[in-house]
Amino acid sequence: MRYTLKNTVENPLCGWRDRVFAAVAFFFVFAFVAFVLTLILTDIFYIDSKAVTTVLTSRFIRHALWMSIWTSFATTLIALLFAVPMGYALSRFRFPGRVLADTIVDLPIVFPPLVAGLTLLVFFSQTSLGRWIQEDIGLEFVFQPKGIVLCQFLVAASFCIRSSRNAFDSVDRRHEDVALTLGCTRWRSFYCVCLPLARNGIIAGGILTWARAFGLFGPLMIFVGSFRGRTEVLSTTVFLEQSVGNLEVALAIALLLIFIALFAITIIRLLGGSTRL
Amino acid sequence: MIRTEQLCLRIGTFALQQACIKIVNGQYFVLLGPPGSGKTVFLECLCGLKRIDSGKIFIDDRDVTHLEPRARNIGYVPQDYALFPHLSVERNIAFGLFARRYHRKDVASRMTEITELLGIGHLMPRRIDGLSGGEKQRIALARALVLRPKVLLLDEPVCALDEATRQDICGQLLRIQRQLGLTTIHVSHNLKEAFSVADCAAILYKGVIQQVGSLDELLRRPNTEFVARFMRCENIYSGKLISTGTDCSIARINGGIELQVANQVQPGGSEIKLAIRPEDVLVLPRRHHNHKCENQFAVNLVRWRDCGDYMRAELDGPLNVVAHVTHATFVTLKTEGDQGLNVALPLNSIHVIRQ
Repeated sequence: MRYTLKNTVENPLCGWRDRVFAAVAFFFVFAFVAFVLTLILTDIFYIDSKAVTTVLTSRFIRHALWMSIWTSFATTLIALLFAVPMGYALSRFRFPGRVLADTIVDLPIVFPPLVAGLTLLVFFSQTSLGRWIQEDIGLEFVFQPKGIVLCQFLVAASFCIRSSRNAFDSVDRRHEDVALTLGCTRWRSFYCVCLPLARNGIIAGGILTWARAFGLFGPLMIFVGSFRGRTEVLSTTVFLEQSVGNLEVALAIALLLIFIALFAITIIRLLGGSTRL
Repeated sequence: MIRTEQLCLRIGTFALQQACIKIVNGQYFVLLGPPGSGKTVFLECLCGLKRIDSGKIFIDDRDVTHLEPRARNIGYVPQDYALFPHLSVERNIAFGLFARRYHRKDVASRMTEITELLGIGHLMPRRIDGLSGGEKQRIALARALVLRPKVLLLDEPVCALDEATRQDICGQLLRIQRQLGLTTIHVSHNLKEAFSVADCAAILYKGVIQQVGSLDELLRRPNTEFVARFMRCENIYSGKLISTGTDCSIARINGGIELQVANQVQPGGSEIKLAIRPEDVLVLPRRHHNHKCENQFAVNLVRWRDCGDYMRAELDGPLNVVAHVTHATFVTLKTEGDQGLNVALPLNSIHVIRQ
């Protein structure tokens, strides 16, 4: 068998040792992809047409789908808004407490999701600052659609910030320096040189954030609940349906979730060029 | 003209210390030094990319010390060129013109001018990825020159190129510099490169400018042992000035041998270093003893090495000496040196470095 992969063109596999090496690598790729595809196929073969009809015609599921889509995209946009300046600052500037800030950025990644929801709930309902934000300013989050975005942001933004920071790290500082000597201001050199060069990494972070936000479940159940037609998103609908015994409908919604995610990630990747996660 | 006064900058353990240089208009100045000596930092200070701790920088008698990089009118070509990989060659070159909001007509005329000067018109639509090292170098130069800067700063502009391309590009750099009358600072660690372009040079070591002068001065009259070694002077001896006369002085090398040296101003007893360039050492067949030449003594040949342009001889005697001789001399020495070799060190070949 002749390998025609891109990276083997310049460095062709010669001899049985090279082939065994490639075979081992491919085995793991195959094993993982086969495992995931098998699970999806199991779901597809388990559901029936009645479940599919229910999913496609239910007003509440359509509402949950819409909630899932807009909240996850809003979360991604807000995360990008934070991630670009934060990633740049953490990558380029040396300031007191930088290491601490860097660690705290990563903290939500290792947070158990339920803890994130619980912490938000306690903050907004038990602390004076939280109550002031909700009651005096009027920004209500608990059991509100806005809360979905806040919850998703807390849990998923770290992926975007981390990815953005790594992307800025990989941009050679001398590109910006040259831009400054060529007549750019600091803002313009960032916008015209640094940002385009870090684009792929930032988009990759955005995709990760969106995927995390789109499938988030645990903290939402605690912080905003799952009220039909109000704060219900697809992931909580799956939970609600299976808890009342509608396993086929739950799996049909899960498949809908998977296909939308697949579609969205593909589109974003195509728009973002050679973006790699 | 570029003038720096007492430029100081500390970065971690490195410190640029009171760097003073003066480069007249239209001069091609080469800043030499080993890697890590602070050459790039010095250039970045001139560009305004590094904020100096103290000192002043003047360009044409205008104090630019606290000006932003874009207000200094300096063209900067960094090491590895730092071309923008997301832009085409044309957009790379025009980048500065658009950043300074030039009118489209002016952009077009300047682009034509610079591409003709550097002969890079055929590269315009290409992307940066596929360019060769020499092409990248010319694009980076065009990007800097299209803004018609007063000063051009080149940070190791040819270090990534092969020997032949390096000589070719150095020739082009000098031609363009002369044509435009640009004051240029070229940073390098390569002596050959310096000899092919420099009007004047300086040597930087551990953040301190050791010596400024013509390459001949750096070569024949080094101020410090480091400068002598950096300029490939292989014969450096420690000793003491034991007497000074009207015509010549006598120096005793550690180890015993006494050498006549050109008359010195420092008093007898001063600690000194003697630097003798290998190409100034005369190697003679012993049977051709030259009575007119000073400092002559017998030596044994340790080994010959062919260095391409010359033959390098390691000689052992009362003084261990390294000599560079031409291939023709080498042939003569081989045929006539059967009775051994002598070494002669003429007075004018011995340079005294004051301790």
